Amino acid sequence: MKNYLLQRQEAVAGIGILFRRKLLPVLGFTLLLLFFCVPGKAQNTTTITGKVMDQNGNPLPGAIVKLKNTTIGTMTGAEGNYSIQPLEPKGTLVFSMIGYTTQEIDISGRKTIDVKLTEESNALNEIVVVGYGTQLKKDLTGAISVVKASDVQKKQATTVAEALQGQASGIKVRGGGQPGSEAQIQIRGLKNLMDSNPLYVIDGLITSANRDFNPNDIESIQILKDASAAAIYGSRAASGVIIITTKKGKEGPLQIDFSGKTSVQTIPRYKLAGTEEFSKLNFMAYDNANVTRQKLDLSTNTDWQDAAFRTGNVQDYTASFSGGGKSSSFLVSAGYFGNKGTVISTGFDRYSLRVNTQGTKGIFSIGENLAITNSKRDEMSGNPIIDVIRLLPTIPVYNPANPGGYGYGDEAKARTFGTNPVAIADLEDRTNENQRIRGNVWAELKFLPELKYRLNLGYESSNDHYTYLRKRGNWTLNQPLDPAIANENRANFSTKLIEHTLTFNKELGKHTLNVIAGQSYQRDDYAQIWGTKRNLLVNPDGGYYNVLDQGNEGQLGGFKNRSDIISYFGRLEYNYADKYLVNGVMRRDGNSRFGPGYKWSNFPSVSAAWRISKEDFFKSSWINDLKLRASYGTLGSSNTDYYDYIGVINTFSTIAMGTDQHIEPGAIQVKLANDNLHWERLTQQNYGFDVSFLNNKLSVSSDYFIATTKDVLFGFPIALTTGNDGGNPRVNGVTLQNKGFEFSAAYREDSTPFKYSATANLTLLRNKVLDFGYNRNNTYVGNTITEVGQPIGMWYVLQTDGLFQNLDEVNNYKNAAGKVIQPGAKPGDIRFKDNDGDGQITNSDKVVVGSPWPKYELGLNLSGSYKGFELNMDWFGSFGAKVFNGPRSVMDRFDDNSNYRAGIQPWTPENPNTNVPRAYYGSTLNSRGDSDRWLENGSFFRLKYISLSYKVPESVVKKIGFQNARVTLSGQNLITFTKYTGLDPEFSNGSVFEKGYDFGAFPNLRMYSLGLQFGF
Amino acid sequence: MKKIIIIMLALTTAVLYSCKKDLLDQKNPNTLTKQQFWKTEDDAQNGVNSIYAMFYQNGVWNRWIYFRLDLTSDEGFSNSPWIELGDWTRFQYVNYNFWEGNVNTWRDTYKAVFRCNQVLANVPNIQFADAVKKEKILAQAKFLRAFYYFYAAVLWENVPLVLQPSEPADLPQQNTVTEVFAQVVKDLNEAAAVLPDQWDNANVGRPTKGAAMALLGKTYMQQRKWAEAKTAFDYLVTGAGKGYYDLVDYKENFRATQENNKESVFEIQFSDANKTPEGDAPNSNMGSNRSQFFAPRSIGWSDGQARYWMVSEFKKEKTRDGKIDSRLRYSLFYPGLEADFGDKTYGRSWQWNADEAWFKKYSRDYYRNDEDYYNQVNNRVIRYADVLLMYAEALNELGQTSDAYPYVNRVRNRANMADLATAYPAIGNNKDLFRERLKTERMLELCGESVRWADLKRWGDLDTQQGVDKVAQRDPDFKNFIVGKSIRLPLPQLEVENNKNLKQNPGY
Repeated sequence: MKNYLLQRQEAVAGIGILFRRKLLPVLGFTLLLLFFCVPGKAQNTTTITGKVMDQNGNPLPGAIVKLKNTTIGTMTGAEGNYSIQPLEPKGTLVFSMIGYTTQEIDISGRKTIDVKLTEESNALNEIVVVGYGTQLKKDLTGAISVVKASDVQKKQATTVAEALQGQASGIKVRGGGQPGSEAQIQIRGLKNLMDSNPLYVIDGLITSANRDFNPNDIESIQILKDASAAAIYGSRAASGVIIITTKKGKEGPLQIDFSGKTSVQTIPRYKLAGTEEFSKLNFMAYDNANVTRQKLDLSTNTDWQDAAFRTGNVQDYTASFSGGGKSSSFLVSAGYFGNKGTVISTGFDRYSLRVNTQGTKGIFSIGENLAITNSKRDEMSGNPIIDVIRLLPTIPVYNPANPGGYGYGDEAKARTFGTNPVAIADLEDRTNENQRIRGNVWAELKFLPELKYRLNLGYESSNDHYTYLRKRGNWTLNQPLDPAIANENRANFSTKLIEHTLTFNKELGKHTLNVIAGQSYQRDDYAQIWGTKRNLLVNPDGGYYNVLDQGNEGQLGGFKNRSDIISYFGRLEYNYADKYLVNGVMRRDGNSRFGPGYKWSNFPSVSAAWRISKEDFFKSSWINDLKLRASYGTLGSSNTDYYDYIGVINTFSTIAMGTDQHIEPGAIQVKLANDNLHWERLTQQNYGFDVSFLNNKLSVSSDYFIATTKDVLFGFPIALTTGNDGGNPRVNGVTLQNKGFEFSAAYREDSTPFKYSATANLTLLRNKVLDFGYNRNNTYVGNTITEVGQPIGMWYVLQTDGLFQNLDEVNNYKNAAGKVIQPGAKPGDIRFKDNDGDGQITNSDKVVVGSPWPKYELGLNLSGSYKGFELNMDWFGSFGAKVFNGPRSVMDRFDDNSNYRAGIQPWTPENPNTNVPRAYYGSTLNSRGDSDRWLENGSFFRLKYISLSYKVPESVVKKIGFQNARVTLSGQNLITFTKYTGLDPEFSNGSVFEKGYDFGAFPNLRMYSLGLQFGF
Repeated sequence: MKKIIIIMLALTTAVLYSCKKDLLDQKNPNTLTKQQFWKTEDDAQNGVNSIYAMFYQNGVWNRWIYFRLDLTSDEGFSNSPWIELGDWTRFQYVNYNFWEGNVNTWRDTYKAVFRCNQVLANVPNIQFADAVKKEKILAQAKFLRAFYYFYAAVLWENVPLVLQPSEPADLPQQNTVTEVFAQVVKDLNEAAAVLPDQWDNANVGRPTKGAAMALLGKTYMQQRKWAEAKTAFDYLVTGAGKGYYDLVDYKENFRATQENNKESVFEIQFSDANKTPEGDAPNSNMGSNRSQFFAPRSIGWSDGQARYWMVSEFKKEKTRDGKIDSRLRYSLFYPGLEADFGDKTYGRSWQWNADEAWFKKYSRDYYRNDEDYYNQVNNRVIRYADVLLMYAEALNELGQTSDAYPYVNRVRNRANMADLATAYPAIGNNKDLFRERLKTERMLELCGESVRWADLKRWGDLDTQQGVDKVAQRDPDFKNFIVGKSIRLPLPQLEVENNKNLKQNPGY
């Protein structure tokens, strides 16, 4: 595929060069001759002279200068000079040159006119990889976003997904922060309920761009958003497709490039009470509840955030060596990425090596892309984001009296089951290491200039190694003392891919036809073995011998899975005179994950575009290009586990029986299954336009889409009375609809010394459940309700209505029948709304109070450069979501002991002007988790990225033998505007029904980076 | 170049050929499918065995049910720093979806029922060499289904009766407590007709006919059907099963040293062989968590403890030789334990409050100084002393008070307590006085054995505010008790919301 792309690029570039270097002077000379030959009247003429240059002031030879609406014209010479003689000193001169934007200048009596032509924005002539082929961006009929590799690489991100945020409309990214964590990415909303990631296609290999993949190797990224664009990937594409092409060598001598970044990271922090404030509030809560105060250790004042958090750092280095001749090229790139986490005892290291080569002989081409990576993650234990607020400041970090030597709750002094994050970080040690080989080999035969055959063989294999060591010692009150335990598993994942494609490409006059037909087969395997031992051998020098030879009470296990997919596909692209573009795709997929009779499905799509600007009737001097697009298509998804369609027998239960208490086996079905599982089908309509104005300086793209997913495969919650366990069985249950509007506008000014550009991406999205599984109308999960006709996971909670200020208010708070609604309440307690009017507060008073979904999201990318300096800013905003602040529901409660938010003002008779109810130990009524007390405005606008870079002038660089060098200082997540009081409004939650619930999610980090790039 | 073309064509043909459609017929390589199962006698045996494995799961007899049956009653309470956990032992049910307090027990109850239903639906189709063996397997499944529905009726009362293997879309109808008990009676009668009087050594632990009759009697008792209850108990007390049961050394009812002894009517077989968390994974725990959760502070989680009034009650009456009732020694950890009997608590002298007490039964303090999640001491869910006292209760309710005395005496005498009539001559044949005394006798004999909650319900002590007030004197948690509402748990809210056929229990 890459080869094809290169050929296209070269072809385009080649034509340009040919025109510029050879044809133009010839053509110009001919024209000139013609002018001279035309017998003209001898007249008094004005002579206008001048020079035509490019933006940088370099002369442009061969540019055509014409007097508008006449035959008078000339061409610039070797130094870009021209001379033209109009009949009168007025009129308009037209300066044109292929590859440059045509400029018109009014003579207005001038004798000398110098012109700088701007290079034509080549955005429209960009080549876009669309899956089994490429298209020119201007010929696209579907919705595809192209993200520049530099926009991804400039950020300090572990995965590609994390770096994509705000770079294109219609995509939503959440997550990251933890070392080695993989961000969630959603393309055009939640299309199904499995929260599945998009399909990644890297150099033609269907895979995932997880943390093993070095983003520095990327050459280009395209995001296929609508059905017609993604349809060629049929069943794999319902969540969108991200196509990544990695860098290749270019013709020329060995090129060495280095890029290095080093960053420091800090984690946002809570403002928590110290011992003095904590003890005052805690005593108040006990006193109010008439409970004897605990004997707090007032001499201790632990800042648990200091204990658990630290300044992290990232080292990210990539060196690449590339080059090639006329018929072959190579690229070798080696990288190291190291991240010391902002939470103690966490970290991530990645070593990566990539070799991309290709060669051509006659009609035969061959190439390979190979990446080898080793990544190791030191995983976090417990959840320090919550642990730091659950532990009291009066607890010391270390306490030699406790097993293991760490401080934690104490019945008399500090009643809490909070986990000591320092203890758990030390006593539980988890690592996860993957060794991955990912690559493909392809070969191509070009039988005819129009026809070629390509064979693509892909292979990916990951050896995964997980270790867990439990050391002796405790991290929480009253915990049983476990022995030292080691657990280890080793697994292998592999994907094999075989693809055949035939491509036919023909231009006949104004007709251009491109046809692709192909077949692919993919096989995925996963197998794991695991073992565990208890009572490990202590190493007298510290720690344990944590190999599985040591210890006793060993256990082992293992399992394996396989799935196969066979696909046939075809695409037809037809282009008439660049005006009418039609694109049709058909794909047929068969998947082993479905039962007999349900394995196969077809996924057709069609799209068309009309370039109005090419029509004769279209006359506009300020619109350069205008294209309307429409598409309709069907995609599929097989969101099931390997053998989900058939119920299995769990043979693991064992029972003790008999006077000797011997062990007997048991076997039974534990998890239910739906045997009629079939393909989930996404139908998407897309309407859009692309327009560019003002000499292509301003380009605007907009899309409206309606995506409906039928038979969504999901583990829909079923009644517990079924006795099901082990997860809800998958069912083709739900119909979901996403309607969205996307708008992106980019303005670029390159012709002035101060160059600048601004891009805005706006996404509006609304999801709606059209139909439910199992003939139901709604489902409740946690504090949310999902109803037919409504978005997923709306907040469904009790409504609070301020605080009771006095007993009269309590007694007067009655329903219509005169029943006192909260008879037990005291002044300072929360007044809940009795929405059903039955005179008591129960679950039936819950109502829908808001949506966890943002109304719109906005990305704003600004850049400006002057001479060698360049300033870049990426802003990202999300507006209108209502979110649940889980950590605050821990901090702001007084019924159970945890630390309090600094400055919190619970209600007291002396201080009644507050919205925090009275402090009362031991009753959950005021702090109940199912009320709107914890809901907050989740809107935010954030400076995701800012950078200042300096490109060292070539004159300086060349002296030290370099070709280029750039230094960049950048920051991430430095400024956030939000009313959300939690650590980070940009959090993620893995449950589709509770997207807006911040359970103490790992926050985005603040980061300062220094980057250095050079090549020689 | 020709060579290359030939090689590529050959390669293409080869891979195209290998890409056959039967590649899509991938069979699960890891375990049996349900189509492959339920064919052999072993399948049937393994199927019924898996029901017993449900005893080892958190929601039921591994952990949380003791919070419902022991701590909610006036014998126990929770002073857990985990406030919500404690709230669920004192009738402060705020979030009906609280997993540990409600949903887990509900889910595991139906999980067990699903297993029973699978056996009952599939085993009849299996060919057995020995038809009796097959009937016994079905009878075990019926007993166990009745067992789980009995406790569901005690806890939530109006639960749906699921009697067929479940399908994912099932939304069963709700049943009344009367209907649930009727099903329990039906299953137990059918089971009792088949179950043996005794099992061979290898199968001890499976329900006997006596176990079925005892649970049947309990079920009738709970419905105050005294005559039917007596008839059911007759088998164990006066009838054919009489010889299989006796009272043993009191402490041996709560230790691993003499399990499945003559006093055991039905006993859950716990084992510490698998030291892995509970669940359906390989090597899952077969032990009980109870002692880890009930052990005193700094030894266990201390989420549940005993009400001190029981200590006082034990000390009100001395044994025939003037000593403290030795049942106290094996029932509770309390401040005077060392002074009274010379026993320390997990090797420690009393270090807790002077008015505190903890449950000792099923603890492993008798041989170790700590607890963990893998307690192997069998739980004697029904023991003979309980049956004798229920028998006496049934007789008393039937107006045969004088006939009831010998059974109470048998239990008292084992603890070296004087005959009831000797110790409490005022009772005579007064049915009400006898019943009141029996309530205390049951506590003294059975405290901490998960019978008290059902007892309080059966006695009607929770049906009137007056009755509740009296209980609240022993256990102030009952001040939160609302008559007509707190007598049963709320159904998990998610179940009510997700199944239109279910109605939340009254008052919730």
